[in-house]
Amino acid sequence: MPTGFGRDFVTQYQKCEWEHAEYRGRQYQDALYDKVSDRIARITFNRPEKRNAFTDRMFEDMFAGLHQANDDPDVRVVIIRGAGPCFGAGHELSSPEDQDSPPVHPSKNPTMVDYYGFERRRCTKWETIMDFPKITIAQVHGFCIGASQIVASCCDLVIAAEDAQFGIRGFGNLHHGVTFWPIWPLWSNKAYAGHPISECSGKEAAELGFINKAVPRDRLEEETLRWAEVLSQLPIEVITITKEWINGILDVTGMGSAQRSHFISHIALQYVRFRPYEVNLYKAKKEKGLKGFLKDRAVTATPSQLQEKER
Amino acid sequence: MKPETLPISNTSLHPNPEGANMANYNYVIYEKRDGIGYITLNRPDKLNAINNAMLEELDRAFAEAEPDLEVKVVVVKGAGPAFSVGQDLSGVDTSEVLPEPGALLTPKKRLEAERRRNRRWEYIFNLIKPTIAQVHGYCLGWGCNLAMVCDITIASDDAVFGDPSIRMGLLSGMPLWIWLTGIKKAREFLLTGRYISATEAEQFGLVNKVVPRAKLEEEVYRLAKGISLAPGDALANCKDGINAVMEARGLGEAWRFTNEMQIIMQQRTRERDEFDFFAVRDKKGLKAALEARDAPFKNFP
Repeated sequence: MPTGFGRDFVTQYQKCEWEHAEYRGRQYQDALYDKVSDRIARITFNRPEKRNAFTDRMFEDMFAGLHQANDDPDVRVVIIRGAGPCFGAGHELSSPEDQDSPPVHPSKNPTMVDYYGFERRRCTKWETIMDFPKITIAQVHGFCIGASQIVASCCDLVIAAEDAQFGIRGFGNLHHGVTFWPIWPLWSNKAYAGHPISECSGKEAAELGFINKAVPRDRLEEETLRWAEVLSQLPIEVITITKEWINGILDVTGMGSAQRSHFISHIALQYVRFRPYEVNLYKAKKEKGLKGFLKDRAVTATPSQLQEKER
Repeated sequence: MKPETLPISNTSLHPNPEGANMANYNYVIYEKRDGIGYITLNRPDKLNAINNAMLEELDRAFAEAEPDLEVKVVVVKGAGPAFSVGQDLSGVDTSEVLPEPGALLTPKKRLEAERRRNRRWEYIFNLIKPTIAQVHGYCLGWGCNLAMVCDITIASDDAVFGDPSIRMGLLSGMPLWIWLTGIKKAREFLLTGRYISATEAEQFGLVNKVVPRAKLEEEVYRLAKGISLAPGDALANCKDGINAVMEARGLGEAWRFTNEMQIIMQQRTRERDEFDFFAVRDKKGLKAALEARDAPFKNFP
């Protein structure tokens, strides 16, 4: 009987995935934890040479950090940021096959039960960040793409450098079985009304209300700390109750169903049959390597380049 | 069947412009002109802060306007320098508006009070006639709530919106923020309690249109007059249809959930070094308390 690759198969939503990530005695590696001040904790994604692409270890370190920040009675605000050139480039596409990030490799021949376990583990990660009982601020510079953008959008507030780059490469995400994150359109009525939100700069994102503020890159850290400092003066129970109220209303508006529909469509996408001319991550990776795949994908996803190719 | 005859003459829609029953109104002015009902918050020396008495009169004014066939559309506005700064925080005649922290109330009493508060917003939100908020100057807290539950908000360029509840350790309690502004901005506004300029309010869905202060009255009149020319039944139907969509999106449940969260917020444990708005108010006065409340958030964000 498959049991989600040796992990506990959980049929209930777990709202607090971070409780399973132990911080006591942990050597933080792919994500670092530090305290800026008594009341402000900070988590830094730390794989700069890989543009902070998500591995399972990075998730674990991040959640241990959230766990530690939660347990620390002084902490009221958590800043999440990336080391090196950017906030994050999404899932690590060259992860070993037994990792949750990116999606399950077809050669593992997983069953529907495996997929459910996997998707629940993945989606509870996002819910966990959203429901974190203290204020979370994403400090975004450079690329903030795919899963990294999901993480940023699950934080309460996003402050970004004006030249930050949000978004996914057009429809490129469909090539490796990952659908659009359903909460993005809800994030801003303006963005929902007029834009498919494929790619936008920090400046554009702020204008759309998709993030809270964009500042020049050299002022990003200072601005984020300013917000954190001001907000950390609020009583922690007031923060927690207000967040619970806001998130409760989001649940009422259908956030839970949206999450569920998101992971169901992930599962459906595992069964996509690629037509011969379509770009298939696993096939392309096998034949051309990751770089070759990314090149093919960029061409498919970008209409102008496609036209050029046809010409 | 003979259609119901409406008491409207051909020569003048409203032969009795001052016909509204103004008896027993002290803090609200209710008048009818040109098919438009005007509800004016009238406590200008206190920037139209809402106390128990004003609340009760507001209830009555809306209840009077709703069945009145001479009123096709209701305009809500404020007399003096501001629309409304929200709940009267003085603690005098405010038991219905804002329970004093530490008040010994049973959970049942608290729940009843929260239900009354929210049903009031729901009632205005679902008023069977279109409502327009005409906003100038401060529009904070409950003032902002009042503008939000109106169907359309027209603001002058000097208007300032916001809900600073969190700065006093209170819950905003207005779920419409989520729908009107989108999630990210709602979180920002509610978690920081910051003030929002008219332009930004327009940009993020709190306001339909911003006009110069001198043009506000005229703009709202033109809009109200235009709406008043449409058939009343059609307006009622249209509004109810829109509100049905909001209901389907969970607004009804959100009010109920808000009741519970309000009670939790009121009964939470206070921190030892927490800023206590009400203690400062009692010791140093309301003005000093307001200054102390906003001081840490100065120039923010």
